Amino acid sequence: MKDFNRAARWTIDWPFWVSIPIFLILPFVAPYTALATNILVFGIFAMAYNLLLGYTGLLSFGHGSFFGLGAYATGLLLVKANAPLGLAMLAGVLTATLGGLVIGYISLKRRDVYFAMITLAFSQLLFFLTLQLKDLTGGDNGLAGVPILHLPFSINLGKPLHTYYFTFVFFILSVYAVRRLLNSPFGKAMQAIRENENRAISCGFNAKRVKLISFMISGMFSGLAGVLYCLHLRFVPIETLSITTNGEVIFISIIGGLGTFWGPMVGSATFLILIDLINKVLARWEIVVGLIFILFILFLNRGICGLIESVMAGRKQRLAVASTQQAKGDES
Amino acid sequence: MIGLSLGVIYVLMASGLSIIFGLLRVVNFAHGTFYMLGAYSFFYILSLIGHFWIALILGPIVIGLVGMLVEMVTIRPLYGTNEINPLLLTLGLTYVFVDLIRIAFGLAGEPTSIPAGFTGAVNLGFMFFPKYRLFVIIIGALVMVLVWLFINKTNIGMVVRAGTKDSEMVQMLGINLRRVWTIVFGIGIALAALAGALHAPITGIMPEMGIHTVIEAFVVVVVGGMGSLTGSVVAGLLVGEIISITTLYYGQAGNASVFALMVIVLLTTKYGLFGEE
Amino acid sequence: MTAVDHVDFQVDEGELRTIIGPNGAGKTTFFNMIAGTLPPTQGEIWFKGENITSLSPYMISQRGIARSYQIINLFPNLTVFENIRVASQSRKVIFNFWKDVKGLEEINRKAAQILETLRLTERRETLAANLPYGEQRHLEIGIALATEPQLLLMDEPTAGLTPDETVRIMELIKTISKGLTIILVAHDMDVVMRVSDKITVLHQGKVLAEGSPGEIRKNEEVHRVYLGGQHYGDAT
Repeated sequence: MKDFNRAARWTIDWPFWVSIPIFLILPFVAPYTALATNILVFGIFAMAYNLLLGYTGLLSFGHGSFFGLGAYATGLLLVKANAPLGLAMLAGVLTATLGGLVIGYISLKRRDVYFAMITLAFSQLLFFLTLQLKDLTGGDNGLAGVPILHLPFSINLGKPLHTYYFTFVFFILSVYAVRRLLNSPFGKAMQAIRENENRAISCGFNAKRVKLISFMISGMFSGLAGVLYCLHLRFVPIETLSITTNGEVIFISIIGGLGTFWGPMVGSATFLILIDLINKVLARWEIVVGLIFILFILFLNRGICGLIESVMAGRKQRLAVASTQQAKGDES
Repeated sequence: MIGLSLGVIYVLMASGLSIIFGLLRVVNFAHGTFYMLGAYSFFYILSLIGHFWIALILGPIVIGLVGMLVEMVTIRPLYGTNEINPLLLTLGLTYVFVDLIRIAFGLAGEPTSIPAGFTGAVNLGFMFFPKYRLFVIIIGALVMVLVWLFINKTNIGMVVRAGTKDSEMVQMLGINLRRVWTIVFGIGIALAALAGALHAPITGIMPEMGIHTVIEAFVVVVVGGMGSLTGSVVAGLLVGEIISITTLYYGQAGNASVFALMVIVLLTTKYGLFGEE
Repeated sequence: MTAVDHVDFQVDEGELRTIIGPNGAGKTTFFNMIAGTLPPTQGEIWFKGENITSLSPYMISQRGIARSYQIINLFPNLTVFENIRVASQSRKVIFNFWKDVKGLEEINRKAAQILETLRLTERRETLAANLPYGEQRHLEIGIALATEPQLLLMDEPTAGLTPDETVRIMELIKTISKGLTIILVAHDMDVVMRVSDKITVLHQGKVLAEGSPGEIRKNEEVHRVYLGGQHYGDAT
């Protein structure tokens, strides 16, 4: 049986390779292509969120801020300034990262609930600000008018399938980058801080700086998700900055599994497909998803991927114990 | 001055939140939902019985009981797991309850009117004050006095003040700690429900009415200090005034102003104005 | 109430100094001050010729001071190996976002070595939370050791251990004490007498006596206050 945790020279193991073909055919398997694109977008968003909560141990209630910052920055440059696509996307990501720096710096002055509250406060501040600046952002109606973009190699972002594969490129790059991050010294430092911040500090880790950088990286990828969302919809709804988005990313993360690598993607797919299915039968999906979420918290706390991981780890530990006992048995 | 009645609503909400957090260490995101349920419950009972005072008293009590049930079934299993589980669970509850009301009573909500007998204004000498808002202030103040008495003069209140979840002292007094948690949760919820019932004639009722109110209530609790009743009162009135004044002049930005306040308070004080940990 | 009252304290390089004293004598507060988690209200702390009094805890650790705790303080959901490895990483590389830690050969080698010293090699892949208590105590010390300190503060390393386990920890301490300066807080007089170069006795926040194990054993005041008025039996 292949050892799931064996060090792969490329840091990428078989789930990564298996997932590529799965994502490549996803638009044909999913109910409709736009849904598949959404799965990717929210997959990146949830992955960013998971970096902060699952791997660094920080619960943020305002992550919609970065998603929205990315979406609006890109949208504004495309709509109001006719900027080239590359610049608009870069601006979106940078704006979100900068937001991560500012919001993170202030929020991290406190821990736990108070930290979460400050992130929420900033999220609401941005929301109401955007609402107020109607002329610039479209206020309640959102930012409309993102043009259909034609890129080299005949890529036409007006076509859903093209948009999907465009998004997919960034998705797979992000997944790879996060994978490397989590296996890097910094990624390990994040996890040490999650496990026991005081001990990590006493070992010599500058916890403040690690947390802030982690927050910024999380903001950066959230912003990228927002950028891609803007390009996908050719429109930026005000909801991206609202508490609904904050709540949704939390749902996705829990259902998928906190602190697992594939949790965000699985959660995103599950969440969005579930909503789609429910909407075909009932008018309202919130109550069903809310109940499912509650059930997960109560009984499946580690999420889908967390469950899978526990099962596999349990098997590994039993094998380890068994082989130790066998070795001891040999000794006597 | 008008901000005072809004402030009282916030005081009621914030005290409930504060009591629940102080004893149970649970950040109750569903608090706004129970505010909303209180409003619906009040109007529903009113439409059934037609008696104002009974509806006002019964409505919040019913919702308080619902809260106790919720605590026993869904929150209690999560004590001792980690800090964020109860919080996340209450987030889930919000989605469920809001949608339940949408299904039961429709998406649009109902317009409401101020009950007969409370319309018009009272001449206070220096100004005319709307009768109903004065009523809200008086009821709110009365209830807060009751809450204060409860916290300071009863055994259960002593447990709340001690603010710990497991204490040998408490168990030695023969108090069933779990029952205390449930009761305290119920009281906190009833306070929110009362706030909703009182506020509804002014604002109308909608399934979503609690969502923004709860965030503002959190601001109040954080500014006043989590776990501090005095803090909830002072901060509640303060926030009520601030929101009333700023929305008058700056529209939507007025809502944002309290968040700026919260950030400032959190960064300058350790635990809010009156909080301790 | 003064937790630590005008304690003048000096440890030489390479020494193994034990601090003993009744509960509440100020031992943990003393450690907290050295480690930087509690600032002293008065006085200074010097380490290797540098004034470290106002440094933040992580900086003090970077200067070469490590600490093990009385209450087990591990990284529960990380494997035993990772517990050690991440601790040994802290002073070498943190802000690298790209390189796979499996490629950090030097760090991995040192971590494996420390596992050997701790006799925990077989438990490499076990989660720290799943270890039996005695082995957790080993790991507890190991994490501090992994940071390659020059000064190691050990707070009650034998708390809650059976006599057999205590002996093992004692042997571990003796092994690691070569080339390392250790300040040890302990209750178990057997351990104290056997491993210490010098003993400091604290009482109510003040230094009551200081000297070699032999001297302390004979000290009348120490007996009265701490050892209960009986002469401590002749330990080897």
